[in-house]
Amino acid sequence: MDMDTQRKWDAASRTLDLMSFAENRRIGPYKRKLFSAMRGATLMVAAGTGNDFKFFPPNMHVVAIDISPKMLERAARKAAAYSGKIDLRKMDVCNLEFPDSSFDTIATAFTFCSVPKPVMGLRELRRVLKPDGQLIMIEHVRSAIGPLGIFMDFMTPLTSRIGPSLNRDTVGNVQKAGFKLRRVENVYLDVVKIIEAVPDNTT
Amino acid sequence: MLFSIGDYLAGMLIGVATTLAVRSIVSPGMDMVLAMLVGMAAGTVVHLLLGLVLAPLVGMFETMIPGSLIGMYGGMLFGMRDSMAAGSHTLASATAVGAIFGAFVVLGVKVYNQILRGAVFEVDY
Repeated sequence: MDMDTQRKWDAASRTLDLMSFAENRRIGPYKRKLFSAMRGATLMVAAGTGNDFKFFPPNMHVVAIDISPKMLERAARKAAAYSGKIDLRKMDVCNLEFPDSSFDTIATAFTFCSVPKPVMGLRELRRVLKPDGQLIMIEHVRSAIGPLGIFMDFMTPLTSRIGPSLNRDTVGNVQKAGFKLRRVENVYLDVVKIIEAVPDNTT
Repeated sequence: MLFSIGDYLAGMLIGVATTLAVRSIVSPGMDMVLAMLVGMAAGTVVHLLLGLVLAPLVGMFETMIPGSLIGMYGGMLFGMRDSMAAGSHTLASATAVGAIFGAFVVLGVKVYNQILRGAVFEVDY
């Protein structure tokens, strides 16, 4: 278990709901549409304080993991209010306690900006995803727009101390981890993206 | 609609605060490169501090991205402008320039967002 990451997100759990209040309203419709593709056994990675549970389709059975017990404490109330069943478990995405090929769908929301070893984490997702499963993500990534990309590189040493890295290449990391892209959509500029991928069974 | 108004107000506020911060530090005759760096630093600090307050109201990305352009790059421009004494002569006009600059950056980001938004890759598996 990565204790530094756990401590960082335990601390962030106090302000996450406040800081993401408006973002949830603005990006919520995209999340709802993305998560409507959930099917079968579903894993939600980095559940946080459970802000995304309200965007899940009704009556699903979802396993939701997070590295931070403080986040999960806050998520418990929102999980209880969900119409289906959400099992909350404390787990590091880089060391999942599930057997191979356990899930039909894996969902993430602003997760791989915060995983210290993103390709390792994505490879774990590849392992626990069934060969005909799907990975659905909404993530923020480094912008290819010159001045914005430079700003993100400049700020990442600061932001990564208290929260996410701003300059991740999550689309590239998904492919490095053994997935092939099904769909990529820009949600806000080229920074917030929906990424849909399936296991590349030829690798 | 309310969020859109909020975006412009946030941009204008960051623009005004950046202009005033730079004006309070950079004086006419200061070395232009130094003024540019000082302006950039001041603008970055201003937009980060205001961003913490504005992000819960208008959104993290919608605050951070235009804010970074206004604060960091606007700070550089205002710093150079003030060092050459080419800036606004009164505080009121400096404030107006900051607000207009902020609003224009937000508008530019919104236009660019409309261009970039949507699917960029799609295949059937």
